Amino acid sequence: MFVSRRNKGGIIAAAAIAAAALVTSALPAHAETGVTSSTIKLGITVPLTGAAAPGYNKVPAAMKAYFDYVNANGGVNGRKIQLVIKDDAYSPAQTLSVTNDLILKDKVFALVGTLGTANNEATTRLVNSHGVPRLFVNTGFSGFADMKKYPTTFPLFPSYATEAKAMGKYIADNLAGHKVALIYQDDDFGADALKGFATAGTSFVAKIPYSALSQADPSVVGKWITSIATAQADTVIMFGVTSATGALAGGLYKAGLIGKVQMILGSVGSDGTTLKGLLGPLAPALAGSIAASFLPSPSDATDEYVNLFKSVNAQYNAGAAFDNNVLVGMNSAMLTVQALRAAGANPTRASLMKAIEAKGSTWASAAFSPILYSAKSHVGYTGYWFGKLGTDGNAVSVDGPGKYTLYTTDSGTAPVVKSSPARTAMPAKGLPTN
Amino acid sequence: MKRKSPATRFLISLGVGAFLLIASGHVDELRAYQGAQVAIYAIAIASIVLLTGYSGQISLGHGALMAVGGYAAVIAQIHWHLPYPLTFLIGGIAGALAGYVLGIAAARLRGPYLAGTTLALAVGLPSLANQFHILGGEQGLQFDVGTAPTWVGKDFTQYRWFFWVAVVMALAIFWLLRNLLSTRYGRRWRAVRANPTAAALTGIDIAKAKVLAFTLSSAVAGLSGALFAMLLGLVAPLAFTLTLSFTLVTGAVLAGVSNLGGSIIGAIVLVAIPELSNAVATHLGGSDRVTANLPGVVTSVLLIVTVLLAPNGPKIPRRHK
Repeated sequence: MFVSRRNKGGIIAAAAIAAAALVTSALPAHAETGVTSSTIKLGITVPLTGAAAPGYNKVPAAMKAYFDYVNANGGVNGRKIQLVIKDDAYSPAQTLSVTNDLILKDKVFALVGTLGTANNEATTRLVNSHGVPRLFVNTGFSGFADMKKYPTTFPLFPSYATEAKAMGKYIADNLAGHKVALIYQDDDFGADALKGFATAGTSFVAKIPYSALSQADPSVVGKWITSIATAQADTVIMFGVTSATGALAGGLYKAGLIGKVQMILGSVGSDGTTLKGLLGPLAPALAGSIAASFLPSPSDATDEYVNLFKSVNAQYNAGAAFDNNVLVGMNSAMLTVQALRAAGANPTRASLMKAIEAKGSTWASAAFSPILYSAKSHVGYTGYWFGKLGTDGNAVSVDGPGKYTLYTTDSGTAPVVKSSPARTAMPAKGLPTN
Repeated sequence: MKRKSPATRFLISLGVGAFLLIASGHVDELRAYQGAQVAIYAIAIASIVLLTGYSGQISLGHGALMAVGGYAAVIAQIHWHLPYPLTFLIGGIAGALAGYVLGIAAARLRGPYLAGTTLALAVGLPSLANQFHILGGEQGLQFDVGTAPTWVGKDFTQYRWFFWVAVVMALAIFWLLRNLLSTRYGRRWRAVRANPTAAALTGIDIAKAKVLAFTLSSAVAGLSGALFAMLLGLVAPLAFTLTLSFTLVTGAVLAGVSNLGGSIIGAIVLVAIPELSNAVATHLGGSDRVTANLPGVVTSVLLIVTVLLAPNGPKIPRRHK
């Protein structure tokens, strides 16, 4: 049964070949990694395959479409932007592998829009040790704003605590006296939210935690409905992922509670297009739900950014349906172009990060919220507006189409401030000139 | 042909190790990372080869056992502040404990039932992390083994150090397993696998032999899980997916499932596939959707071809003694 000497020799030979294959010569050093006289190379990791792919997989193509649009109009200081897209199937191990490729092999200048909390966590050591700028990560985990731990990372989305505080204020102002139940994901995502609601002083007749993947279990949804009914709640907040929103809507419908219980949805779980796909003929059950968002509604035909991104999408994105994911991608891409322009004629990683800290708060962006970047803060957006979902699944502002009230605050104890959005106007044709 | 003594094997391991460690100074960081990946996969695949190839039990859930080892190592570091080489040991012990419990159940199950049970483990176990606060939930826990010690020299990259650690561990594990398989335990396992009835008639306690094999295999898987956590710098439920478990089985099949040394080849193939398919995709200039799915296609095709043409792996069939 033992491996013969010949085979054992084979094993050693194989190991030796492997080692030999590992030997490659080092590349000569560049002036700045990922930048040539005619190109700037950026990288992104997202799930393109696997369970988490639907929806998210549209983000990189949307970014690329916007970059192609800018490239067709002269690029950034004469350089064309290239985006290297890597699939990580939402597995942190895979994210690290492909990020190794991006940084060590493809030698990208910066990462942009990398998706997922654990996924970004897994590449942090690599990113930090090589000083690679990581811009506009696609996650709402407030931890990434910690500049000591993540010196090169720039989160963009408002934190979940911010969202909960804004929601608490909205309820106090508009739904006072209602009996509110809260369903939340029982991890840091939900913990961030609980903290926010506590700060806002929101009281609940029922708090219903659920574990991350249990929303697919009908008995879990049954328990939610029982808890809502027992507590005689007339309002329910869903602070969870889109599939949990779908499960809740289905449960309320079966219990005949649609129209009797007002749903309020967090920004993570309220993408209309995805919900329509999940719920099918039940989708109209969501109509009238209140949803928190920071970007304009993708259906808002009066919004200059939405209209521009729609036309870029039609021309450069191979017929992809325009939705929130496309909007998110193009918005990040527009900010990226402004960051690259601000980094100077010969951009370096250091000048890029410095430019964002110095000028990022003034840049054009589709979100109504101000951006808080400075030398002391890497916090991005800080505000939400509230809309009502229509039968088509798209949110229309509670103040009427095209009119928005913004609820701004921080992740800590600052009060929630209501304001009318004062957004930087879009540059002509959506081409930054900063 | 005379078998090699443990001492000879030790010298061979030492030689291979010295060669690889010196070679690591002449490669770039990416290759050092891939080298560490190969070493860690090789250990994990060896745990499956040990189980399936030598004791005849099937596991589709070794990714979950890696998770047990990984989490144990990280928790040992965070809560007990153990130096990281010791945490690897903890990872192995935790894997062994989990494997022992599982092995008791496994010894009563055969074929598809065992496969199903272990599969359920692979699906369910990692999501446990969301239930207990100590396990860090969805975003997991960080595992910081620090930088390379100063005695190895200046400008020693992180990945090169990981490669060193992983290679030394892999060689130690292979040396131990190879020697163990030459003892009466190894012979018992092979007897059980070849013909359980005959083995029982010769006085072998089949259940005991199977449980022992499962425990040992899980210990090795747990250790590889701890090394995996080192490479990632964290443990999280998403790091130990069903895909990982299937990848390991794929590696074991590609290696020729009853061949310990083949584990290394299986591991090299697993690491090389994404690299190669990426090169092919870039060459052909396909869309992102094609590029993203190509590694899966290549792996599947390779798996089918292996099973059809070389069910014992890419190597010459072993000589029976």
